[in-house]
Amino acid sequence: MFLLPNIVMIAVFTLLPLIFAFVISFQNLDSLGGWSWVGFGNYVKLVTDPVFWQSMTNTGIFTLFTVPVGMILGLGIAVLLNGVLPGRTLFRSIIFLPLVVSGVATGVLGAWMFDQSNGFINRILGSVGIAPTAWQSDGFWAMASIILVTLWQRVGFDMLIYLAGLQGVDPSVQEAATVDGATGWQRFRLVTFPLLGPSTFFLLIMNMIYSFQVFDTVWAMTRGGPGFSTTTVVSYAYRTSFDEHGPQLLGYGAAVGVAIYLISLAITAIQWRFSSSRDQTD
Amino acid sequence: MDNLNLTRRGLLAGSIGAASLLALAACAPSAPPAASSGGVAGSKSKIGAVKGTLTFAFWGGSDGETAGFAYAKKKFEAANPGSTITLKILPYDGFFQGIDRGITSGTAPDIFRVDYTTIGKYSAKGVLLDVSPYFSASESAAFLPALWEAVKYKGIAYGVPHQTDTTAIVFNKAAFATAGITSVPDKLSDAWSWDEFSKVATKLRKTLPDSKYPFAYDWTAAGAYRWSSFIYQAGGSLLTADLKKAAIPSAAATKAMDFTKSFFDKKWVPANNTVKTTVYSDNFFLNQTVPMTFIGDFLIPELADPKDGYKGGEWGTTFMPRDKSAASDLGGNAIVARKDTKNPELAAAFLKFLVSEDSMKYFCEQAIELPTLKSLANSKLDYVNRPDAVKVFTEQAATISTTVVKESTVASFATINTVLQDQLELAFHGQSSSATISAIAGGITSALAS
Repeated sequence: MFLLPNIVMIAVFTLLPLIFAFVISFQNLDSLGGWSWVGFGNYVKLVTDPVFWQSMTNTGIFTLFTVPVGMILGLGIAVLLNGVLPGRTLFRSIIFLPLVVSGVATGVLGAWMFDQSNGFINRILGSVGIAPTAWQSDGFWAMASIILVTLWQRVGFDMLIYLAGLQGVDPSVQEAATVDGATGWQRFRLVTFPLLGPSTFFLLIMNMIYSFQVFDTVWAMTRGGPGFSTTTVVSYAYRTSFDEHGPQLLGYGAAVGVAIYLISLAITAIQWRFSSSRDQTD
Repeated sequence: MDNLNLTRRGLLAGSIGAASLLALAACAPSAPPAASSGGVAGSKSKIGAVKGTLTFAFWGGSDGETAGFAYAKKKFEAANPGSTITLKILPYDGFFQGIDRGITSGTAPDIFRVDYTTIGKYSAKGVLLDVSPYFSASESAAFLPALWEAVKYKGIAYGVPHQTDTTAIVFNKAAFATAGITSVPDKLSDAWSWDEFSKVATKLRKTLPDSKYPFAYDWTAAGAYRWSSFIYQAGGSLLTADLKKAAIPSAAATKAMDFTKSFFDKKWVPANNTVKTTVYSDNFFLNQTVPMTFIGDFLIPELADPKDGYKGGEWGTTFMPRDKSAASDLGGNAIVARKDTKNPELAAAFLKFLVSEDSMKYFCEQAIELPTLKSLANSKLDYVNRPDAVKVFTEQAATISTTVVKESTVASFATINTVLQDQLELAFHGQSSSATISAIAGGITSALAS
């Protein structure tokens, strides 16, 4: 009985929309409710759509650069702020702060900072004699700007989780390693880092899912351009389905959404597999 | 880990269950309601006394627009005791998503504002009130013909043309003087030719530092269709006369594409003045990256704002360049009512009131927008900001041809505009003119067929 409210909520707000998304992906549905069955038509269109595959590639590149770099930075900052450092609470708060700002606000801020004509970043670069960078008109630099803004936003989360993990490391283990003659680097590499395994796995999966589902920052900063060079899977699904001045192909957008869902499911399955083995070794 | 295994099984079972529900969900497809006529044109033009309550939703484009609608509401309610129009001011972003969800769920506002390039979507789906019976022949003839055409679908009027706007050029007078540009057209008939415009851009380029550019164009995001003005100027069109096929590839399309692509090659526009960008043409002018820009007249209040407006000195206005002919884009909005509104008489009465001479005049003067009634288009309005600038836009609006209107209001225009967005973006980043035009033609063909 106590579970009933939760079950109802999950059914209404999670499972039903999920089921409808699957159903809609087999339809040609427009924004005013007109629809017809198209079978696997949307999926056939999906696998033959070059923009979809480009958005998949872009999402992969974005994930590849945001996940490991963010985790390394987060770990480094966590190690620094785990020690006896004056004002460490203040530093922790400052680094964590971007995470509580909404993605859209972060994206708008990023668009201002990386504005290639009048932005803060190019002005700073110009003041030290570096030529302005084409943050908005060159695909490579546009992707770089989104990755940098994402890292700025997300590193606080990585730091927080690693910080919690570090504070759970038993000091006696470190002391034993010190007594055995381990150097500082050896203690970190061979003792501390392995003990942070659960934190690393958690962050890896959460960050991968987050990166795969990135939308707000991209939309606010580049609208997926220049060309399609920063179009990610979710921004493509959004534009296809919900752009008010676009075709509003809700069925096709749902098919893209199902593809995202299946990939997220695969990532989650990997998490469970690795988490299980980790727990067993523990 | 037992609980994890259970959850995994549960999730897999859930996924299979979701898939199996697909089979259960089989039912007859839903066809949109067919467009239909609500009666003989003009048969209900004498509406008489109306009572009741309706909701009117619009996006708050500016304080002037809000003031204009509030004025009409107040006057209408005073003239029709027992009637109440509830104004619902919504943000532009998400406005039509809300309308669409409301229509499918039966909770949409009775009356709403819609731009001319979007009205075709609603008319074609048969969700709008046929207002033809409420307008006599003389009342219909009071509108500028092209704009009355803009609210029609298959010969039936599904709304009222409330105001229009279009694109013209705004420029910094000091920058022009520095570049030695001493003569700027002050009559539509004297508008620069493409060659003359190119010379102006070349002169500006020579006097500007590398970080500044001669001008910016307003083809960003949903404004991609404004690029078509160059095709019309070159003597071509996007669609065939029967609106059933793409009228490109054509010599005019190639000329327009080559010309506009050259803006980037010659560094006449900022490299990020493309379609998919967050910086609009007015932003480039306001932050003084360009001394000249193409903008809609509805942005004049923004430039003229004493606090946050243009800080680069005196600015003037002139006309779009012309080639074989002069042309500009169709901007502006209609007001429509839902077909299933509970009080169609009241809705029609309010629509008629909104486009009465007094209401339209007040609205346009406050919002710096152009009227759609012939009587107002031919008279001098007391615009609250820069009437000298509005005069240029008013003249420019005469170049919105019937072809422009017909092509901009086809039901699948949103899909065509998306094709333009994608392909122009690629063209401005190096894709060849021929590949771009071919892709646009293919996109238009499939959009019209869908």
